[in-house]
Amino acid sequence: MLNRQVAPKLTPIKSIEFTVPETFEIQAGIPLYWKNNIANETAKIELHFNAGTTIETPILASLTAGLLISGTKTKSAIQIHHALDAVGAYYDVSVSQEQAVVTLYALNSYLKQAFDIFHEALTAAIFPEKEVQEICNERQEKLKVQMQKVNVLAQRKIQQVLFEETPYSQVISQGDYATVKRTDLIAFHQKHYLKGLSKVFLVGDFSKDVMLDIKTACADFVGKAFQPVNCTFSGKAHVVHQEKSDALQTAIRIGKIMFNKTHPDFISFSVMNTILGDYFGSRLMSNIREDKGYTYGIGSYMMENTHFGYFMIATEVAKEVREATIQEVKNELERLQTELVPAEELELVKSYLLGQLLKAADGPYAMLDLFSGVELHGMDISFYNKYIQKVQEITAEEIREMACKHLDWKSLSIISVG
Amino acid sequence: MIHFERFKLDNGLTVLFHKEASTPMAVVNLLYDVGARDESEEKTGFAHLFEHLMFGGSVNIPDFDGPLQAAGGESNAFTSNDITNYYDVLPAHNLDTALWLESDRMLSLAFTDKSLEVQRNVVIEEFKQRYLNQPYGDVWLELRPLAYTKHPYKWATIGKEIKHIEDAKMSDVKAFFKKHYHPSNCILCVIGNFELDYVKERVDHFFGSIPKAKKSARILPLEPAQDRFKSKTIVRNVPADAFYYAFKMPERKNPGYYLADLLSDIMGREKVSKMYVDLIKKQKLVSEINAYITGSMDEGLFIITGKLNEGKSFADLDKEIWKIIAHYKTTLISKKELEQIKIKLRTARAFQDQGLLNRAMNLSFFELLGDANGINQEQEIYQSIQAEDLRTFANEMFAKKNGVLLKVKKKKNA
Repeated sequence: MLNRQVAPKLTPIKSIEFTVPETFEIQAGIPLYWKNNIANETAKIELHFNAGTTIETPILASLTAGLLISGTKTKSAIQIHHALDAVGAYYDVSVSQEQAVVTLYALNSYLKQAFDIFHEALTAAIFPEKEVQEICNERQEKLKVQMQKVNVLAQRKIQQVLFEETPYSQVISQGDYATVKRTDLIAFHQKHYLKGLSKVFLVGDFSKDVMLDIKTACADFVGKAFQPVNCTFSGKAHVVHQEKSDALQTAIRIGKIMFNKTHPDFISFSVMNTILGDYFGSRLMSNIREDKGYTYGIGSYMMENTHFGYFMIATEVAKEVREATIQEVKNELERLQTELVPAEELELVKSYLLGQLLKAADGPYAMLDLFSGVELHGMDISFYNKYIQKVQEITAEEIREMACKHLDWKSLSIISVG
Repeated sequence: MIHFERFKLDNGLTVLFHKEASTPMAVVNLLYDVGARDESEEKTGFAHLFEHLMFGGSVNIPDFDGPLQAAGGESNAFTSNDITNYYDVLPAHNLDTALWLESDRMLSLAFTDKSLEVQRNVVIEEFKQRYLNQPYGDVWLELRPLAYTKHPYKWATIGKEIKHIEDAKMSDVKAFFKKHYHPSNCILCVIGNFELDYVKERVDHFFGSIPKAKKSARILPLEPAQDRFKSKTIVRNVPADAFYYAFKMPERKNPGYYLADLLSDIMGREKVSKMYVDLIKKQKLVSEINAYITGSMDEGLFIITGKLNEGKSFADLDKEIWKIIAHYKTTLISKKELEQIKIKLRTARAFQDQGLLNRAMNLSFFELLGDANGINQEQEIYQSIQAEDLRTFANEMFAKKNGVLLKVKKKKNA
């Protein structure tokens, strides 16, 4: 007879097999990584350019990225998009603070054709004035919508205060669109795309010759190895509330500059962060959502850039409980700093993290993402074995130490909008 | 081709199993055949509120998420107007944990007052965050009752109004559970590197003893045929005027569903569609435009939506929209364009099928439609569609009396 009150026995995860892609050099310091044996017909290519928002201004980075397929002397934007559609390809470009990443998705038999179309479009892009105006109009309208959202306003504000006086603090404002000249975009494209490729990730089953052709063509965009702007941050904590009278909720962001994977405390801090706010059963969720019902969701995150990282707690709460929520966050941090995490909770989080890592390593695309996460910091895949080991070994004392060492309440900036 | 096995327990639970040998993970997906369309008009938002309560502990297990997380897994759920879908993704060797948790909450919930009170608040905050505190967030709260007069699609999954959620009582919760949460109202799908016999044995072990209940017949108010075009204007604090044309389209099981879906892909294509080129690039009438379908089980909606550029009027736009519609009613889509759309569909599908969870949800959904194997036939249906089919279909669906229009007008000096 089944006794439903007894949980099934659990088998812990002891090790995970991590694999690396094949590595080729487009040119010294500019790698191409290739993952094949995919077991289905999907393929993608990811081109990383040194063309993020910090390299010059966010407006230039954002508009240039949006106009990579805007037409050449012989082909209009519409013709190029049609050509990509004809091979069933999807195209995506994302701009972060440090990079612009162009991704093409297609069936493996069409990826090379899709890449050739993109290659020609990028090489010969002329940034027609009409296309520039169109994208400015579209983006301005979208920004107007964004600027009505409390979570967007809070996010922009905390970015400005955490990174103040560095290029990382820059955000796009409505006024920026009026200042953009076509020639600036052309110059940005010349500098940061035609000579800005820093690495390539390729997934898909095709012959080695096809891969080598792609590699050769990539050499046309090769620039310097990726080197982000080096900055020092003041680390000053700010507390700012912006009133938005028509808002029904208040967005809260609490954060500070932190480290990335290269720091010896990174893994221990991550475990502590998970307990605090990075899974559904976290302390912030249990207290502020599941006990108090103040919010639909609250979480804490670690974000990573090349030379640093940052830590952030984010939520939207009922307007009348803003102060109460911030107080509860403070209480939860103090609990982590003064009390030891109970053994059962720590064990749960350890198992959860290892299960999530197993999932994050499931399949070629996921595995390549894991690889990319360490490659960015010049580390190798053995980081994840260290991670497993550290997670298995970490003690409640170390968790408490992490909270004390890195999350002093006075060191955190607190932004609220609403 | 996605291979699967199907078996049924004596208590009526339908089980699908798809073996995937390459993964160390397992997916357990439970689709309950209940959605917002099964609510009464005085108590809307209930199916979704209930989904939240399903995580508040079951009869023998006080906490749902904890044991699953301790097994290295994660869980979530969503509610639509048609279904409520729960899923667990965890390391395959801990499959039992997911089956144990899911079977216990199918058996019975804990029904604690605290859970109801807290989740009411959480859902009210979700209502505010997603529908009220966003520009254009309440559009669907307005568009649904404009398009549907009798059918329960006239309210959104989140509910008609916050008050319905505030008023939810424990007796309602219990009655809802009794009616909808039992084996014969559920499709369970398991994916992982297992053998069929093992899955059968484990599923039977955990779910076999749940009592059988009768699946209640679904009798929904029929939406009367629409006899005239309807439009409504609302004024909101938004940055730009926005429009939502909605045409009634065939229900999910009707072959016309696929025509509507393909037509929406053609009309809504980014950067190249006729709407995009004419209205954005040539006439500078709108800053964005899109077409998509709601894809619901019963008669759904085909939506054409976008935002007007500053200084342009709804009247100008209306003329152009009907011109575009007339184009698809009279002109055949070129062979080339049709081929492009079909190959894009193939690409999209190949990427979707990569994900285990996607496969599990799709298998379950097709089983609800009548046969999980539909997942393997869908592409063939899309690939067989001809330009003539689309033109004929456009003539039926885009009859003016079949449509409604919601205009969101920007508040002056907003």
